[in-house]
Amino acid sequence: MRTYETMFIVNPEIVGDDHAALLEKFQNVLKQQGAEILKVEDWGTRKMAYPIRKLSRGNYILFFFRAGSEVIAEFERRMRLDDAILRFQTIVHEKEPEGLVAAEEKEVPAAADTPTAEETDEESAADTVDAE
Amino acid sequence: MSMGKPSGPPRRRFSRRKGCRFCGDKSIKIDYKEIRTLRNFISERGKIVPRRISGNCAIHQRKLTESIKRARHMALVPYTSGHAQD
Repeated sequence: MRTYETMFIVNPEIVGDDHAALLEKFQNVLKQQGAEILKVEDWGTRKMAYPIRKLSRGNYILFFFRAGSEVIAEFERRMRLDDAILRFQTIVHEKEPEGLVAAEEKEVPAAADTPTAEETDEESAADTVDAE
Repeated sequence: MSMGKPSGPPRRRFSRRKGCRFCGDKSIKIDYKEIRTLRNFISERGKIVPRRISGNCAIHQRKLTESIKRARHMALVPYTSGHAQD
């Protein structure tokens, strides 16, 4: 069981009940697979550094959860299918960051710091890297 | 190799070899969510500041680079200064 953190950006035009329903839906996706959700952070709508799908603002949501590794593929597949989610990123924590509800001491065998950042863009990100 | 290039942008950051900021102060976390910290290491054009200017040690520079790239992916930090302004 590893501790993961997923941040995703939701379309800001989805508000109120729809927004809550969306969060519920994804929390259920995780729970059905046997993941334990530690914390959900909602950063609200903020200006993005660059427009994604022509939108300049986005709703940032953060999930901290504990799960087996097979859960991630399914979770990301569902996020990819949903049109309301603009972008997502999953990070693995080699040790549980403090401030989360650490139910029990979980001994983490020194797993190499391989963040499973399954980065998929809905549109290919304009990666304008300046060539020096 | 003649280094005959003009001295580009002035070295505004820690050009003295004063040591890594993160080694000195262990409480600063390098995380893609700590945008304020990350912004210190991004130039005006959005480029990642090289180690010889920022003074970081290798380990922290690598972590920093990874965090900046993650933050860029999540649109917390720009890739470049020329993004469309709305």
